Amino acid sequence: MSGSSKTVKTGSAPAGFRDAALFTFVAILAGFGIELLTSGGGINVPGWPFNLVFLLLFGAVIFTVGLMFREHPVVSWLGGIPLGLSLIIGIALLSFIGGVLPQDKYPPDSLVAILRLNGMFSSWPFAMVILLFLFNLGLSLVWKTIPFRVANLQFMLFHGGFWLALSCGLLGSTQLERLVVPLYEGKESDVAYNRESETAIHLPFSIYLKDFQIDEYTPQFALYDPQHDQVIEPKSKLMPELRKGVKAEWDGLGSVTVLDYLVSALPGADGVPVPVEGKKGVPFAKVRIDENGKISEQWISSGGPQLKPLFVPMGNYFIVMADGAPKAFRSDVMLISKGGERKVQTLEVNKPVDFEGWKLYQMGYDEKAGRWSTLSLVEAVRDPWLPAVYLGFFMIMAGNVLYFWKGFKKMEEA
Amino acid sequence: MTLVEFPAIAFAAVVCWAVGSLLQIPAKNSKVSGSLSWLFLFAGTLVLVWFLASYWIALDRPPLRTLGETRLWYATLIPVVGFLVEYRYKIGWLKYYCMGLATVFLGINYMHPDVFEKALMPALQSPWFVPHVVVYLVGYVLLAASAVSGWHNVFLNFRGKRSTKGESMSHYLALLGFVLLTFGLIFGALWAKEAWGHYWTWDPKETWAFISWLAYLGYLHLVARKTDSRKLQWYLGLAFFVLLVCWFGVNYLPSAQNSVHTYSG
Repeated sequence: MSGSSKTVKTGSAPAGFRDAALFTFVAILAGFGIELLTSGGGINVPGWPFNLVFLLLFGAVIFTVGLMFREHPVVSWLGGIPLGLSLIIGIALLSFIGGVLPQDKYPPDSLVAILRLNGMFSSWPFAMVILLFLFNLGLSLVWKTIPFRVANLQFMLFHGGFWLALSCGLLGSTQLERLVVPLYEGKESDVAYNRESETAIHLPFSIYLKDFQIDEYTPQFALYDPQHDQVIEPKSKLMPELRKGVKAEWDGLGSVTVLDYLVSALPGADGVPVPVEGKKGVPFAKVRIDENGKISEQWISSGGPQLKPLFVPMGNYFIVMADGAPKAFRSDVMLISKGGERKVQTLEVNKPVDFEGWKLYQMGYDEKAGRWSTLSLVEAVRDPWLPAVYLGFFMIMAGNVLYFWKGFKKMEEA
Repeated sequence: MTLVEFPAIAFAAVVCWAVGSLLQIPAKNSKVSGSLSWLFLFAGTLVLVWFLASYWIALDRPPLRTLGETRLWYATLIPVVGFLVEYRYKIGWLKYYCMGLATVFLGINYMHPDVFEKALMPALQSPWFVPHVVVYLVGYVLLAASAVSGWHNVFLNFRGKRSTKGESMSHYLALLGFVLLTFGLIFGALWAKEAWGHYWTWDPKETWAFISWLAYLGYLHLVARKTDSRKLQWYLGLAFFVLLVCWFGVNYLPSAQNSVHTYSG
């Protein structure tokens, strides 16, 4: 992971580091100065096609300077490890601020907002340090690449990958589109919303939501203490699942045994739940409560949009049923392009679908309605710079494998 | 097996390690004691491996969701690093620190028991879940060992008993740890793209993962600059604190309110 061998020779260690640290500090100060002057306006990364033009020009400058002024002491310092290290520390410190302070809205006249500490990763000081870092990294990369030597492959892959991922990730951010598409069961829509600007946009295709489903984990039951608003832990320390035969005991209070469990049911004429098919039903369970010898049998239920939950008292507490957490949720959709192409797909968390250059994600639903939700929130994402960033990622990983291999071999020799 | 059995298991593991460690004293003169000692040391770890495996089965999901569950993995894996270092470098002291650290983790889990909870939110149900967390876990384990070794070397240097072998060990542990940290970071980014739509959003957890990665990147560049290895032992000892913030400290920072990625529990 060393920089050019030249840099090691030129600046003597302490002086090299001192200058580099000062330089980094000045760059950060200048960045904060710009924020002060613009009241924390942040940096506007150029949009298409200027981001690409900028990247190409920046790359060309690095190549030219790196190759033409290789021997110049200032240039070799600019591409050397002392400056690289100082900038790494600079990035780490600015990230530290961004990692401690909530990156959220602050009153516009507060110091945090004026210095843009609440938008650190789109601030001038961060941009300055990153730009210098890319310059430093770029120079060392040019020196290690030309002339080409297989021995430097690990360096090229790791540093080149980092350069590519960082530069393309940041410059491509202006073209990243993340839109929310609300869909209702039985309806077709091409309207999407930008979460930040809250503006509506028409997608180049439309989506018809056939069905939205949620699978839930088995509901659980618990002993609830209304006075302290907390759940009393049973002897077994585990929240008991509602399954026929499951028994939970509480020290000194008694026990509850599940006699029957109906996944989906509705109350019948005599109040006894009757199993039903489809989305309408709610879970019911018949439990035997043994309150230190005093035995009773009752129905409990978590309820639903039309039905109140049923809970039963046990001493000063209540036996309640808690809905299972969502296990999976998915939307059966038909994607319809402007040209009339139709594609039936299922959108599920972790399983996005590609369509017309967009990636579609299952994002959410109406959480108040839970599994009765007829609304499905889909996210449509377009990121034209993704392939370049991924190429960077894979180069880093390839370099990493070589580094591991080299390190391991050295360790064996040690 | 569930958390009801955990206190007994943790106790058994610590007793095995303690007996194994005590038997190291007569082991210098007796081969039988040596073998017996290693039998106990391994048994301590095997008990935990067995618990993890049966807990995994009982949960129907990898036990990698809560902070307590990750501590269980560290407690299992950190002594293994100590044993491997002894096998490879013939350096015996590291394993005691490692078992001590593991005992602390088991103790924390005993004092703050997790709730047995099977649910795994949909975003975590991904083929990336296990590789991302396991690579990070092993990375953290190696870096924890490198930090422990760093502090040991600082202490040795303080007493004027420098060990270059010990310093080279902390270096290689850090190097391997960094490689795994890098994989963990990128696996996380690739997974985030599939689950949340973007590979990087400067979520506080991501930011801290990036800061800790930079900390070790800085270390490797200091090594490349041929910095005095004695000073670097301090660096390795301190760098681990950054990792600790990333592992669980993030939960307590003001920025955590916006994070989607803090460990539950």
